[in-house]
Amino acid sequence: MAVSVATHGHDAHDDHGGHDDDIIYQETRDMRLMGFVLFLVSDVVLFSSYIFAYIYLRNSIQPNWPPIVDGHQLPRLDTAFAAFNSVVLFGSGVTMHYALESWKHANKGRFNLFMWLTIFLGLDFLGGQGYEYAHAQIGGWSGNIFGASFFTLTGMHGIHVFLGVCFLFALWLQTQRGVYTEHRFFGLTAGTLYWHFVDVIWVVLFFLFYLW
Amino acid sequence: MATVAPGVPTGPYHAVLDHIHPEPTSFIRKYVFSIDAKVIGIQYMITGGIFFVIAGLLAEIIRTQLLSPHGAILSAATYNSVYSMHGSAMVWFVVIPLLTGAFGNFVMPMQIGARDVAFPWLNLVAFWIFPVAGVILFSSFLVGAPDAGWTEYPPISLQGPPGTNLWCIAVFLIGISSTMTGINFLVTIYKMRAPGMTFTRMPLFVWAQFATTPLLFIATTALGAALAALFIERVFGVPFYDPKRGGSPVLWQHMFWFYSHPAVYIMIIPGFGIISEVLPTFARKPIFGYKMIAFSSVAISLLSFSVWAHHMFTSGMVPWLQLPFMIITMVIAIPTGVKIFSWMATLWGGSINWKTPLLYATGFLITFTYGGLTGFFLAAVPLDYHEHGTYFVVAHFHYVLYGGSIMSLFAGIYYWWPKMTGRMYNEKLGQLQFWLTFIGFNATFTPMHWLGLLGMPRRVATYDPQFQFWNQFASISSYVMALGTVLFFYILFDSIRNGKKSGPNPWGARTLEWMVSSPPPYYNFKKIPAVLAAPYDFGNPLPYLGLEAAPGATEATPTSASHPVPTY
Amino acid sequence: MDLATIEKVVAFVGALIVFAFALVGLRGEWPKNGLDDNVTKVLLGLMAFGCVLVVLACFGVLPHGGGGA
Ligand code: HEM
Ligand SMILES: [Cu+2]
Repeated sequence: MAVSVATHGHDAHDDHGGHDDDIIYQETRDMRLMGFVLFLVSDVVLFSSYIFAYIYLRNSIQPNWPPIVDGHQLPRLDTAFAAFNSVVLFGSGVTMHYALESWKHANKGRFNLFMWLTIFLGLDFLGGQGYEYAHAQIGGWSGNIFGASFFTLTGMHGIHVFLGVCFLFALWLQTQRGVYTEHRFFGLTAGTLYWHFVDVIWVVLFFLFYLW
Repeated sequence: MATVAPGVPTGPYHAVLDHIHPEPTSFIRKYVFSIDAKVIGIQYMITGGIFFVIAGLLAEIIRTQLLSPHGAILSAATYNSVYSMHGSAMVWFVVIPLLTGAFGNFVMPMQIGARDVAFPWLNLVAFWIFPVAGVILFSSFLVGAPDAGWTEYPPISLQGPPGTNLWCIAVFLIGISSTMTGINFLVTIYKMRAPGMTFTRMPLFVWAQFATTPLLFIATTALGAALAALFIERVFGVPFYDPKRGGSPVLWQHMFWFYSHPAVYIMIIPGFGIISEVLPTFARKPIFGYKMIAFSSVAISLLSFSVWAHHMFTSGMVPWLQLPFMIITMVIAIPTGVKIFSWMATLWGGSINWKTPLLYATGFLITFTYGGLTGFFLAAVPLDYHEHGTYFVVAHFHYVLYGGSIMSLFAGIYYWWPKMTGRMYNEKLGQLQFWLTFIGFNATFTPMHWLGLLGMPRRVATYDPQFQFWNQFASISSYVMALGTVLFFYILFDSIRNGKKSGPNPWGARTLEWMVSSPPPYYNFKKIPAVLAAPYDFGNPLPYLGLEAAPGATEATPTSASHPVPTY
Repeated sequence: MDLATIEKVVAFVGALIVFAFALVGLRGEWPKNGLDDNVTKVLLGLMAFGCVLVVLACFGVLPHGGGGA
């Protein structure tokens, strides 16, 4: 059964048994993986566009950033809290990585543990975002260009995180229903990549909004 | 399984090529929600054709309005909506879907020897977004259609009528559809070529689609971001573009053109591909400079990401950026020129068979080259200061878009029509149709260069009486074009009803789609062939192995027709 | 200790842990060569970089002129 594609010569094509099944799985998996990575690339462009917009707008009123609105200077965002919240999200990225590793090593117990840790940290991050939104004194979404770019970008990121949490939860349900095996788990791979991607977007946003 | 002769390089991806979903039996699954790329391609073609007629009618309304310097029929406000909708519909709902969705789906999988695209279901979704988005776009007429041109520059678009919101939604949706198609095609071409079809053995139309895909899934996303921001600003008052509130209208222009310049190459590179198929077939000669043509498509595609600001020379961007943008724009003309000369060399000394597709291909060569030249003028900053915002720009982009993209579409439809329907069209009428279109087109748009140089601004409902003669000339010529279009649809209907059977390969072409019956069977190939060389060596035997199952041969159903593909 | 300081301390400790585990994960990925593995390498690396940013933020190196509530 476990014939890998690499060692498979084309004579094995004449065989309609398990070989072919594995090969077809491997090939469709490679295609889906490529498609998924390309989707992530186009999602990167989505964020990059808004990041460009933010940098552009920010440059247009340099050096006054945060901008002065109605005569008073808007405060900076809360870096300390954001640092804490960032660690929560990065941490969830690492736990997700180990969740997938555990799955590959057929360690179901550890997989469940890490998966739930990831989901929990993701939700924690979202809660932190809510806290941040409630406390940011920058004039709201539609008040000025700072609020516009901050809430649009982080909001879009937040939606991605939320969808990611749903994605991971759905994946976990699937693993409980026995959809994936030790050798066929493309969904988990895709979920992990997506989750890493969301984390890495946050690295950039964290720098742009809090550290720049 | 693919029959592979000893010594033939076999791509790593055979097993999956053999797979095909079982053929559907119900009408709905066969023709409405089909996942067969060929059916989807034809669906794109029909839908795009309908939008082409609507957008074409809008164009004729524009030309009729301009019969008189005071505006013959419309109020200025309505006129604004009409040209905005004309441009939007033609760009996003006619040319892009026809060149990628329609021809890409119908022709490309067959040309690489595949049975379908990589993600048939994604394809289905991508298609169905298209008519829905189109209906949303046109329904904006009910609530006040957008009126700031197809480019919808703020701040005018911020004050535009409510239909502008629908415009945002519609274009956003069609952008998602394009993105899906781009990803789908790239994976298909990368992973699903028949054994032996290395990159340098791919037909040039496949190369063209391949080069277009990054534009589709990268540039389009940037447009989506810009549109979403415009929508958010209009609906929730979030400041991005409104200068009164700290935003920047020029920001929109950057985001819009970062998409839309690559988008003009989405609208022409597949057209290049069609021309590259038609020319060698009707000149019965190998294409000249195969690799040059192939690689220049990729070069154009990549370079096109770095020239967008040539649309913004007069928008108040930083002056020192103008020079690099001007130079890179001119550099893009080099790979384009390489193609033009390769095509001319392909015709040179061939035994030329003047059928309608070839007429269109040569027509394309003439008019597109001309449009490229005026583009070169526009790329020169000092000239652009004079020409920007005038009819010269209108002339330029109609030469490249009508004279280039639409002519290539006509060429492609005539060329592949027998493959799609199994029937020939009326050749005499086809040639007449070409001449009506070609003459009508040139007579309509050539005067616009002069009008533009004399300073006639675009997008205005009335004009100075001194421009009247050439405007009337253009309007009347545009009716000739319209006549050509009506004749075109007549020819298609006539062919369906009375056309002679075409047989599998009426043109004696050599790419793989001609090796199967017309219309092709559901599974395209009974056996996936092996490919020994690029397809254009006229005079040599066909470079395919394992085509015993080709037209007329009787063989069993495709191997593993309902092979279950594990999904996880 | 005010709230901000507590947040920074937690963030700092967390960042060190996450950084370490990211590097361990990265080392495990390194020999593998699939598309997914390569993408994971890049993404894990960037996440580790994010931890560095967090540490810089905790010590007020970034933003210039010290942010924080
Ligand atoms: C040699 C190649 C080309 C060059 C150097 C070129 C250059 C330019 C420049 C500089 C402009 C801006 C004019 C202005 O607004 O002042 C322009 C406009 C335009 N070009 Fe081209 N172009 C080329 C080919 C094409 C092609 C192949 C297409 C489409 C198939 C195209 C479509 C357009 C469109 C639609 C506009 C006008 C957009 C608008 O303002 O509404 N161009 N071109
Ligand atoms: Cu351009």
